[in-house]
Amino acid sequence: MEIEFVNIPMVVDVPYRFAAGSYMARFLIELRDNGKFFGIQCPSCGRVQMPPRIVCAACHIKNGEWIELSPTGTLMGFSIVHLPLTDPTTGLPHKTPYTYGIVRLDGAYSTIEHFIDVEPDIQKVRVGMRVRAILRPREERTGDLNDILHFAPIGEA
Amino acid sequence: MKRKVAIIGGGQTVHASRRHDVNQGEMVNEAVRAALADGRMTMDDIDAVLLGNMEFFEGCHLTDCWLADATGAYGKPGLKITTGGTVGATTIVAGAHHIASGLFDRVLCIGFEKQEEGDSSAILSGVAHPLYGRSLAGAAVGYFAMMGASYMQAFGAREEHSAMVAVKARQNARKNPYAHLKLDITIQDVFDSKMLAYPIRLLDMCPTSNGACAMILADEKTARERCEKPVWIRATETAHNEQFELNWRDVTNTRPIFSRVCAEKLYKKLGVENPATFFDVFEVYEPATWAELVWYEDLGLCKRGEGFHLIEEGQTEINGPIPVNPSGGVLSTNCIGASAMLRIWEAALQIRNDAGEHQVPKDINWALTTAYGGTNWTVMTALSKKWEDS
Repeated sequence: MEIEFVNIPMVVDVPYRFAAGSYMARFLIELRDNGKFFGIQCPSCGRVQMPPRIVCAACHIKNGEWIELSPTGTLMGFSIVHLPLTDPTTGLPHKTPYTYGIVRLDGAYSTIEHFIDVEPDIQKVRVGMRVRAILRPREERTGDLNDILHFAPIGEA
Repeated sequence: MKRKVAIIGGGQTVHASRRHDVNQGEMVNEAVRAALADGRMTMDDIDAVLLGNMEFFEGCHLTDCWLADATGAYGKPGLKITTGGTVGATTIVAGAHHIASGLFDRVLCIGFEKQEEGDSSAILSGVAHPLYGRSLAGAAVGYFAMMGASYMQAFGAREEHSAMVAVKARQNARKNPYAHLKLDITIQDVFDSKMLAYPIRLLDMCPTSNGACAMILADEKTARERCEKPVWIRATETAHNEQFELNWRDVTNTRPIFSRVCAEKLYKKLGVENPATFFDVFEVYEPATWAELVWYEDLGLCKRGEGFHLIEEGQTEINGPIPVNPSGGVLSTNCIGASAMLRIWEAALQIRNDAGEHQVPKDINWALTTAYGGTNWTVMTALSKKWEDS
């Protein structure tokens, strides 16, 4: 006798509200209103951490000075994504293929990940490439990482 | 640890993409029954039950409550543990601590995941920071893709090297009756598989598996009285990385990241000078091929930047001098909540000489296991056949 398996489809839709906190809020407000990146420096190890946070994880002391960072940096790693992964903040898939990478802004210890504005071709992108953050126009910025459109290569065709 | 702790039994389900024939409890119970049979015990012999799985992957929280019948926890103390991909190992560590402290003598530890019932990718996106990285997260594929790109650029490895890891895993899995992807593949097959995120192709990644693993841990007295081949848990170690600093994807990073810190602490506890000769087998947590090459280096099996030579030279094959993942590893079977426990159980089987067709063909006295949690922390365990000073 053939066995019938029963599977019942269900959907869980979960709204939530994320409290950015004082450090992350200042970072996002500077990005939104002034188009600037800020990190915060640990008074002990000197690492400039971004996004800013209350405590240096390594030294476990309160982070001190706010440091303005350059919008330019270096590509530390990349991928060309072919899998249409869903953007969980919109529920829509990213358009593939696209280039995606981690960038270390000049003066920062930390890295940031974002789209890289190069053709999705491994001949056109390399680790060590110099890049600059390209922001959305002021009126379109809302105070999250999508205020950055992408990072674009500097001085390379 | 204050008291010695041994693995005195264990078992696993078969692992597959589809298990419509069972619900979560029925699947977990398969592993529990296998472990009890292996340990020649009944639930009456068990003092406490610890259950580990990912949060909400099956669309249900508090699985320790809902599965109390199937796990055997009815009327017994226990708790649920969730620590990411490490959860199976964390559950074993928690079980070992409960026994070492003297609170319990016999603890049943269970790890499971029935991924087909939920949307693992969607729930995993909730692991990323809501503001910093979630919308762009390339998921596990994206992280390991960047690790691969960084590795090739830094050390001169090629895509052939990661493909060798993919082939080794699936060829080993063919010898493991419980493994999910038992694939007779070649390097060319890996290259021909679909590109997901350069340089990661479909065959460079782990599958989405359903399955469960259960293990029985005991104090020394129980172990010596009731078990012919106890496997001793000699040391465990956990280390976290910094929030926001996913710096392990940049393989040139020289800071003391979680994986290297954890290995160093574990080796110090045991007095290990050369891990490649101290341990006879390794079961590492490699959701992607490149991760295995980086584990070789972070575990100190070779120098930095030389991991790809180990695979190229066949050193980590099942019959090589440094066997890594004779079971087929996570690349062949990834039922997330059980994956890290399977590393420990498979290592224990090797020490017991009970691994069957995928048994490493040499005397196995010491084994090392690793895990990834959110790929940003790890749990390691060291197991041995004998306790030399007793």
